[in-house]
Amino acid sequence: MVKVYSFEGCPWCDKVKKYLKSKNVEYETRDIELDDTARDECEKISGDTSVPVTTIDGKNYVLGFDKAKLDELIAM
Amino acid sequence: MSIYDFTVKTNKGVEKSLADYKGKVLLIVNTASKCGFTPQFKDLQELYTKYKERGFEILGFPCNQFAEQEPGTNEEVQSFCKVNYGVTFQIFAKGDVRGETAQPLFKYLTEQKGFQGFDEKHPITKALTEALQNNFPEYLEGDGIKWNFTKFLIDRNGNVVARFEPTTVPADIAKDIEKLL
Repeated sequence: MVKVYSFEGCPWCDKVKKYLKSKNVEYETRDIELDDTARDECEKISGDTSVPVTTIDGKNYVLGFDKAKLDELIAM
Repeated sequence: MSIYDFTVKTNKGVEKSLADYKGKVLLIVNTASKCGFTPQFKDLQELYTKYKERGFEILGFPCNQFAEQEPGTNEEVQSFCKVNYGVTFQIFAKGDVRGETAQPLFKYLTEQKGFQGFDEKHPITKALTEALQNNFPEYLEGDGIKWNFTKFLIDRNGNVVARFEPTTVPADIAKDIEKLL
């Protein structure tokens, strides 16, 4: 399952989600502003609280809205 | 009517009267979207650290009204946002800063100090003006807040002494703050 670490009102997060939807990729939203667990997870993955962070395995991740890198991640 | 008559909510939901800041020099900023223009957060934090011992406070008011529109493709605009600005000055609850839904504080501030134009020298001015012309031409009219990081400087007696547009970087405000301290 693809996870998108994000928060409400983050336009780049919305762009990632829209893009995944357009590719018919299901994802789970993890809100790092409201959910401290999600925030800790995000920090563990990327070492930071910048989002969107998109990941499948919690190891490889894409920071920001980067179509090429997202395509690579989905293909893995 | 003065700045001290306003009550606002902190980001923790606690009511706070601006009268609590009587006697301090204040910089009131609409901090907004946590994306784009974020270098100003760091710069504001530097101002705060430098002057807080001398009675200076920064009050940040996040607003999402400009969130979807990133100005141009300036190199500084990254495709991610940061939930923790890493600042230690006071951040208040999210709210609108322009239009009919604007918080009363921002209606008051923009009445006191109108729009005088952007700083033409700032690298983002051109992209910002174009973004506004294309998406929100009405934002360019009148005295309302044009974009994130509009800054209002308040003296120790609560007078709104200056307004700085997003195109004025915090470091350039230092001399104005020092005059009031």
